[in-house]
Amino acid sequence: MQIKRVVITGMGSVSPFGNDVKALMDGIEHGRSAVRLMEGWDKYKGLRSHVAAPAEIQDERKIPRNKRRFMGRMSIFSAQAAEQALADAGISTADIPQLKIGCAIGSTMGSAKSINDAFEIMLPEKDISQLNSSMFFQCMSHTAAANVAQYLELEGYIMATSAACASSLHAIGAGYDLVRLGRQDIMLCGGAEEVHPTVTGSFDVLMATSAGFNNDPSKTPRPFDRDRDGLVCGEGSGVIVLEDYERAVSRNAMIYAEIIGYSTNGNGSHVSQSNKDSMVKCMQQALSDAGITKHEIDYINAHATATLQGDKEEAEAIKEVFGSSVPVSSLKGYIGHTLGASGAIELIASLQMMQKGVIYPTLNLENISPECMGIDHVMSPVTKKIDTILKNCFAFGGINAALVCRKL
Amino acid sequence: MTEKEIIEKTNKVFEEFFEIESERLKPEAHIFSDLGLDSLDIVDLVVALQKSFGINIRNEDKIRDIRTLQDVYQFIFLIKNAEGIKDS
Repeated sequence: MQIKRVVITGMGSVSPFGNDVKALMDGIEHGRSAVRLMEGWDKYKGLRSHVAAPAEIQDERKIPRNKRRFMGRMSIFSAQAAEQALADAGISTADIPQLKIGCAIGSTMGSAKSINDAFEIMLPEKDISQLNSSMFFQCMSHTAAANVAQYLELEGYIMATSAACASSLHAIGAGYDLVRLGRQDIMLCGGAEEVHPTVTGSFDVLMATSAGFNNDPSKTPRPFDRDRDGLVCGEGSGVIVLEDYERAVSRNAMIYAEIIGYSTNGNGSHVSQSNKDSMVKCMQQALSDAGITKHEIDYINAHATATLQGDKEEAEAIKEVFGSSVPVSSLKGYIGHTLGASGAIELIASLQMMQKGVIYPTLNLENISPECMGIDHVMSPVTKKIDTILKNCFAFGGINAALVCRKL
Repeated sequence: MTEKEIIEKTNKVFEEFFEIESERLKPEAHIFSDLGLDSLDIVDLVVALQKSFGINIRNEDKIRDIRTLQDVYQFIFLIKNAEGIKDS
């Protein structure tokens, strides 16, 4: 069997900065924070963190009601991101029936708002008769993948990768293999997630959220910073188009980059505590899969969510593999942690940086924490020729993922 | 409840829940072929009508016979009428 080369030919995103890739990059380029104080979150007893980076649903009525009724927020985000990505790749929806095309869209869970709404309707009287027919389809774990597939009428592989914060990198990894093996010609891959007090609450009970900046939201999260105090949830979706290289070339498609390496592993030690050694192994395996040395990486887009332990472990892992020779930044300071969407949204931003030849800094990184030192933190925009990048994602559940992309 | 009130309330359900323009809501309109509802929408129609009229119709077999908007009006009218007789 001939292993095919896999390239990225399209991208789309809905993020806290707006509903396309341009809005995402405008926000990052101008050093803005999308983090806000969330109205009404103070009503949740025990919730310490009241900040988040919400996205705004726009133009949802363009999605026909008969498709939209099964979509919670996250599915609307992912349907719009997927549609953008397809258009960006120059693939018409009219061509879909003739293509071997599928999708892999990951998320931590189904629509958080819909799940919450369903239980609020059902539990007080233990009465299921008031639930509408679309609720299940909004709540199910594969809601984003299923809705993207239904909306775009895809008939190929439809997969939902659920691995918390590594979900969308897993989706891209799965799509990479499917195209590599020739099982699909094109895969729409990415992830989606929603902001909801119950989502932030799940991190809050673990003391992993930022709770000290409710009065100054734009100052948090603070990846790698001395004063970081935890993550801030964000929402949205990122979707990229993976395509067989030969096919992309034959139709003169614009190629953003080639995926040349991918790895995922378990830390084998703890469900929530990040582990440096397994991160090192994951990054080394991705480099090995790509067949390149550490010296060929020009930029590392870190996972770095601003948790005390996670940032420390990642910084130490990067230091062990790369030393201080490769620029590193995290985008969580701009758009929060978009969880299952973060791998795809941040990869899209990294590919845009590659195109532009500029590395954007880690927002809110003012004083590097002593335990995060020893790597090349980007603290102001850096102009640099970027040929090869590494994108990290490290998830609750003890799951790591790393992806290597190269400009052609 | 008058027939006019039933028609207005029912039409409101079709406008709000199913996003159907008021001018399409004609009594003879077939709810599947003309108004575009499907079998899953009927579940939602039942939930919406229950909420709107304060009735419980989930287990009513006659729901299966509904084809047109007029059938919906008639169905609700019979339910409300039966309620009225029971109350009196």
